[in-house]
Amino acid sequence: MDVMAPLMFGGLIVFLILGFPVAFSLSAVGLFFGFLSIELGFFGPQYLGNLPLRVFGILANDLLLAIPFFTLMGAILERCGLAEDLLEGTGQLFGKVPGGLAYAVILVGAVLGAITGTVAASVIAMGMISLPIMMRYGYDMRIATGVIAASGTITQVIPPSLVLIVLGDQLGKSVGDMYAGAIGPSILQVLLFIAFIAAVSIFAPHKVPPLPDEALTMRGWPLIWRVMKGMVPSVVLIFLVLGTIFLGLATPTEAGAMGAVGAGVLAWMNGRFTWDLIWQATQNTARITAMVIFILIGATVFSLVFQGVDGAIWIEHLLAKLPGGQVGFLIFSQVFIFFLAFFLDFFEIAFIIIPLLAPVAAKLGIDLVWFGVLVCVNMQTSFMHPPFGFALFYLRGIAPPTVKSSDIYWGAVPWVGLQLILVAIVIFWPESVTYWIDKGTGVDPSTVKIEVPLPDLPEDDAPPVFR
Amino acid sequence: MGPLLAFSRGVDKLNAAVGYLANWAVFLSCAISAGNAFIRYGLSYSSNAWLEVQWYLFGATVMLGASYTLFKNEHVRVDILYASVSVRTRLWIDVLGFIFFLLPATILLAWMTWPFFLDSFIRNEGSPNAGGLLRWPVKILMPIGFFLLTLQGLSELIKRVALLRGLQPDAEVVVEYHRPEQ
Amino acid sequence: APALAQGMPEVRWRCASSFPKSLDTIYGAGDHVAKRVAALTEGRFQIRMFAAGELVPGLAVADAVQAGTVECAHTASYYFVGKDPTFAFDGAMPFGFNMRQMNAWLQAGGGRDLLRDFFAGYNLVSLPAGNTGAQMGGWFRKEVRTPDDLKGLKFRIGGFAGNVLQKLGVVPQQIAGGDIYPSLEKGTIDAAEWVGPYDDEKLGLNRVAPFYYYPGWWEGSLNLSFYVSKPQWDALPPLYKEVLESACRDSTVETMAKYDVQNPQALRRMVAAGSQLRAFPREVLQACYRAAFELYDETAARNPNFKRVYEPWKAFRETQYQWFRVAENTFDNFSYFMHAQEQQQRR
Ligand code: NA
Ligand code: NA
Repeated sequence: MDVMAPLMFGGLIVFLILGFPVAFSLSAVGLFFGFLSIELGFFGPQYLGNLPLRVFGILANDLLLAIPFFTLMGAILERCGLAEDLLEGTGQLFGKVPGGLAYAVILVGAVLGAITGTVAASVIAMGMISLPIMMRYGYDMRIATGVIAASGTITQVIPPSLVLIVLGDQLGKSVGDMYAGAIGPSILQVLLFIAFIAAVSIFAPHKVPPLPDEALTMRGWPLIWRVMKGMVPSVVLIFLVLGTIFLGLATPTEAGAMGAVGAGVLAWMNGRFTWDLIWQATQNTARITAMVIFILIGATVFSLVFQGVDGAIWIEHLLAKLPGGQVGFLIFSQVFIFFLAFFLDFFEIAFIIIPLLAPVAAKLGIDLVWFGVLVCVNMQTSFMHPPFGFALFYLRGIAPPTVKSSDIYWGAVPWVGLQLILVAIVIFWPESVTYWIDKGTGVDPSTVKIEVPLPDLPEDDAPPVFR
Repeated sequence: MGPLLAFSRGVDKLNAAVGYLANWAVFLSCAISAGNAFIRYGLSYSSNAWLEVQWYLFGATVMLGASYTLFKNEHVRVDILYASVSVRTRLWIDVLGFIFFLLPATILLAWMTWPFFLDSFIRNEGSPNAGGLLRWPVKILMPIGFFLLTLQGLSELIKRVALLRGLQPDAEVVVEYHRPEQ
Repeated sequence: APALAQGMPEVRWRCASSFPKSLDTIYGAGDHVAKRVAALTEGRFQIRMFAAGELVPGLAVADAVQAGTVECAHTASYYFVGKDPTFAFDGAMPFGFNMRQMNAWLQAGGGRDLLRDFFAGYNLVSLPAGNTGAQMGGWFRKEVRTPDDLKGLKFRIGGFAGNVLQKLGVVPQQIAGGDIYPSLEKGTIDAAEWVGPYDDEKLGLNRVAPFYYYPGWWEGSLNLSFYVSKPQWDALPPLYKEVLESACRDSTVETMAKYDVQNPQALRRMVAAGSQLRAFPREVLQACYRAAFELYDETAARNPNFKRVYEPWKAFRETQYQWFRVAENTFDNFSYFMHAQEQQQRR
């Protein structure tokens, strides 16, 4: 009976590889094994009746609103050419530097990561903005798609982050601590990415070409004017989105809507606004939203059945075989999560695996914030694993047909490596996380006297009254 | 094949119209979200109704937009294999996929979400949050959405079978794996 | 070995909790039930716990039990006031009962009998299983000195309490869970409430809002409920019913004890870290109190379910309040007063 959970993983691969849409393949694996499990007596048919509740839970998850909002922002920016201006301006500025555009993408990804909390939103917006430009300037397709997908997934390490929120919740640690702990690794991640592009530009400069001389049309003031004109609106927009959060005007989710409205206003200020443009961006957003959320709906069918066949217990048994010791546990648990991340997305890992690992980690004296951030960094790879990484699906979804899927898959590989290097750094250098965590006021709680107003006592000993 | 293809044309038209609603839903959701933030900040006025209508519209985008997305063949695929096979093989993959993957799931979900809506409707279920909205209008989106998706699945199946039989369906059929236009 | 449950059937249930595992006390209340039941039946009656979201979302567990897609659930009844405000009586009513009074009402004072028919309408049986005791009023960015300060206060507060506060000009904003922390930090909302010190500390809201208000008058105690699907309950052998009832009662004692040990320690830690305790001013509480009972009268006028429970509930409350003022409160007040005075003199 213990074979059902691993069989489900196997089935997932087989079903997905056929090439039918991911959303419906996921649900099909789930239902196939669901009916099989009913036959085998794992659960009754009524168990599948939990599906409507789970689907409704996805629709009612208001954090997911960030996906259409940031997609719409990206779509408007892309259509009105403002994003292109930004990258083109930056491209002109870094024109002679090989890899200049890729650096711009990493930095824009980090900035976007500081605005958004979901990988889907970030990857889609980044892809729409930068992929066409990189293609036009002759970037190697694998480098282009890899840098976009990877820079899009950074958002889950850079606060705000849905993953950190969920992990904090599962580990019983405050979101604030998780955010603080993630600062160091986010910086390291950006630096690693930049270093990688620098290395590519040295050893394989043809893959990240500088702008051709004929593209460098301007010099001096016209160039500066052009750069300003390209950069200012987008920078204004980024400050508008971040600023509305900082001013306390909008929640991080609403900031996405602010960004979309701001993008429309900027288009108008640039004289490029038409209702047709907005409507096209809206259509695009509606279909991408439906596509992305249906992947989640398919995944929820899969994971309900996975729970039903005691998949959690199977994983628990696997974990029981882990070797002891802090470093041993950390390495093996991260390897384990890395491999699971091929098949499960972060929600499943957070809900199924983390509650099993956390008590063990706590027993070994491992700081749970450190552990959580480590898992978060590691789970970036779950979005990047070919061929099932969701970030790759999203990128596939918006990339033009001329981009080959194999380029997207192979392009992801080195970046998965870079993410794993960061995992190793965080394991062996815990201060990269703990340095940023609020150490408190240093007041010893046991010395705290809590003073609240005295209870009211009656003025005198008035006799009770009976009536 | 004639009546079937007529059915398919009808479904395509219906879901194009429903997809239009989904577009409006995402537009309104975004406008309301930004508007709510401004008014809450400026006038310290808001209501849970304005927060809830955002995800109601999000639900409408997803449930009403999915079938048109299917029509446009924009549900993302793992196309390592799919991209390298002939059009005919792709049609076969799709035919089998619609029959064994998509339709069982959408029919089951349409059937299961209906009583979930009905209970909410009969009891006039409201929001647990002060000033929130009635729940059935968002719950009914699920059976409607899965039903429409079932119809679209049938329509796509019919068109692909027609193509495999060498007929050129006069209904629009997207066999090329297109990504959402940019 | 001569076993109580020998010859009894094997029963295996799934229990959907409304809470995440990380809230070890409140999730633990359901887990405790499962463990006791297994221990008392020597493993013949097994309940497997699933945290919020594992089987169904935390707020959907009542639907799941009602539809029979899980056999049982562990939750707080007031999550379902949208279905019917009568659910609140089983969880917490603003200015209602403290933990002792809640237990008295539910276990021995006719409360469960009153609610039985109501729950049967949802195809479920509700057993009291756990209690948080009196909760805190939550985290505020600015002080509340007068009822006027409530006007325009953007407060993340759910359920019935939100309705009460809305009457006084508060703007209840049920923003997304993950948005609470950054929104409170930047002042997008002015206040947010959760449970009590031990659970609040885990959320970390003390980092972003300085004033920690008390009491959470909307939850003088929160009774947690173990829902069982009615057909499953009816089919349960009498012994297993007894076992489940005992385990639930046991869990109430156990959970309250854990909270009473953990809460003061957590409160000390947060005060040491800079949180400032504030009591809701009497004037504010009075306004809230009046608004709450206004709301109850309005609700009773249009909801017969609510009215049927409200009137006996109110009568029971009167008896309880009278009695508690005699010995319990006099003892409490005097002892706390003297103790506080001693502490002041020692300084
Ligand atoms: Na982020
Ligand atoms: Na509370």
